[in-house]
Amino acid sequence: MTSLIEARDLTKRYGAHVALDRANFSVEAGRIVGLIGPNGAGKTTALRAILGLTAYEGRLKVLEREPFRERALLMHDACFIADVAVLPAWLRVDHAVDFVAGVHPRFRRDRALALLAKTDIGGSRRLRELSKGMKTQVHLALTMAIDAKLLVLDEPTLGLDILARRAFYDALVNDYMDETRTILITTHQVEEVENLLTDVLFIDRGRIVLDSSLDDIASRYAAVAVAADKLEAARAEKPFHERRMLGKVVLYYERPDLDRLAALGEVHSLSVADLFVAKLSGGAE
Amino acid sequence: MNTTIWLVRREFWENRAIWMIPAVIGALMILIALFGRIDLMSIPSQVPSRTLGGGLLLAVAATFFVVLSVYSSWYLVDCLYADRKDRSVLFWKSLPISDTITVISKLLTALVVIPLVYFAAADITTVMMAFVVSVRASASLGGALWHVDLWLQLQVLWLYMIVTTAIWYLPVAAYLLVVSAWARRAVMLWSILPPFALLLAEHWFLGTHVLGDQIAKRLFGFSRIAFHADPGGASWAAAGADEAMRMPSGIWGFLNAYGFFSSPATWIGAALGAVLIAAAIQLRMRRTEI
Repeated sequence: MTSLIEARDLTKRYGAHVALDRANFSVEAGRIVGLIGPNGAGKTTALRAILGLTAYEGRLKVLEREPFRERALLMHDACFIADVAVLPAWLRVDHAVDFVAGVHPRFRRDRALALLAKTDIGGSRRLRELSKGMKTQVHLALTMAIDAKLLVLDEPTLGLDILARRAFYDALVNDYMDETRTILITTHQVEEVENLLTDVLFIDRGRIVLDSSLDDIASRYAAVAVAADKLEAARAEKPFHERRMLGKVVLYYERPDLDRLAALGEVHSLSVADLFVAKLSGGAE
Repeated sequence: MNTTIWLVRREFWENRAIWMIPAVIGALMILIALFGRIDLMSIPSQVPSRTLGGGLLLAVAATFFVVLSVYSSWYLVDCLYADRKDRSVLFWKSLPISDTITVISKLLTALVVIPLVYFAAADITTVMMAFVVSVRASASLGGALWHVDLWLQLQVLWLYMIVTTAIWYLPVAAYLLVVSAWARRAVMLWSILPPFALLLAEHWFLGTHVLGDQIAKRLFGFSRIAFHADPGGASWAAAGADEAMRMPSGIWGFLNAYGFFSSPATWIGAALGAVLIAAAIQLRMRRTEI
């Protein structure tokens, strides 16, 4: 079984600026992958390439297809929400359902209507009359009613309040995700998606700097908070990152000897957010 | 095919002006027929009723056609730009619809669907106006405005115009689509500026007007190639006693279908149109957002 997404030396230039610099990564079926990186790291460019919205150099296969050349075919089996606020303002909710049902062979109208029925959004209303949270619900209902193998979400909750964000992710996990689906999601709100991801891809300056499952991260990385008198001993264990916190120093290790760390201070595992900050800010903070 | 029908339907949802403008024009004309002053005294009594009837048909059709050309041009230059501007292009591209079908559906809407809407509106308006005017002036006109043969000829004229203008103006329409798929702002300005700049450049550096002549021929040369200027006596009728004042009595005689379809200019233009359509599709694939 080959990967759902396979990128080899994926490169995208905008004039002199290199947005993607020979990026290599793959995404396996049934995973929820977070593509995480600082602003301008190439997250959106990578997604645009995967979705066939932009031309690129290098080799890229998504669901066995070349995205840029075969976008329309790819969209039979993949769908995406690039931003919640892109449904056209003039479109009526019932027309939106009719239209997608008319053009998408894998759209299940009954499921879309069931999802919309849970909201109090009337079918004859135009998108421009709806709040941002309601627009998200409409877009989500349309997208989740598509029997797609791959769902791509680009900063899906940008500009939403905390209630709408929570509702978005709850719906995603409870109503949508099952073992036949794969989700690729970008966000810079790492904490928000941490609990639902199975894998992470860290991207920085157009390159993939970490490609790992969350299980791997838990077993591979550890941090220890030490007092000043044990700092030299802790540094001898070769941490890759240090952080000062409340008079102590937190040191981050890859594949550490846990027994020796335990002698230095309190050992704890790393959150994705911790690891992200550590990986992307280099040595000391 | 099914997808294309949905895409055209979508254009009606987005651009309600497609049917609202002809509806308003039609309503205004009918209102004028209902409440305007009908001054039959100003019309020379010798003018045959066929001429009156034909004049009314042609006047209504011409009004609709002028508005149609302006609206279709505006539609073409706006259609691919509008959904990039509001970023809804990201929604449309998430559906299994190729950029080729998208661009073709816009072209089809502008060159065939919108003209058919105007055609229907013009027909309804003419029938209602003729009815109102004949009732209001029944004493003097009687059934003078009802000439079924003229009315049928006008149907042929409309269909002929829709087909021939679609082919003749294909390069212009495709150029507007290129601008619409490419420009980041000010699409109207960008649709006029490049040809104008090229024209001036040619004038300054080469001192010739080849490009200007070609553009002028394309924009204003349509009627010369699609119609006979002088179709011969059968299509004309003398307007009353004065033999020198002639009015068209038939429409078919003016149509120069053979001349139009056998002219190289028609097909060179269509070929250029095809190249520009391919360019618009490529731009649509590459330019997602503004």
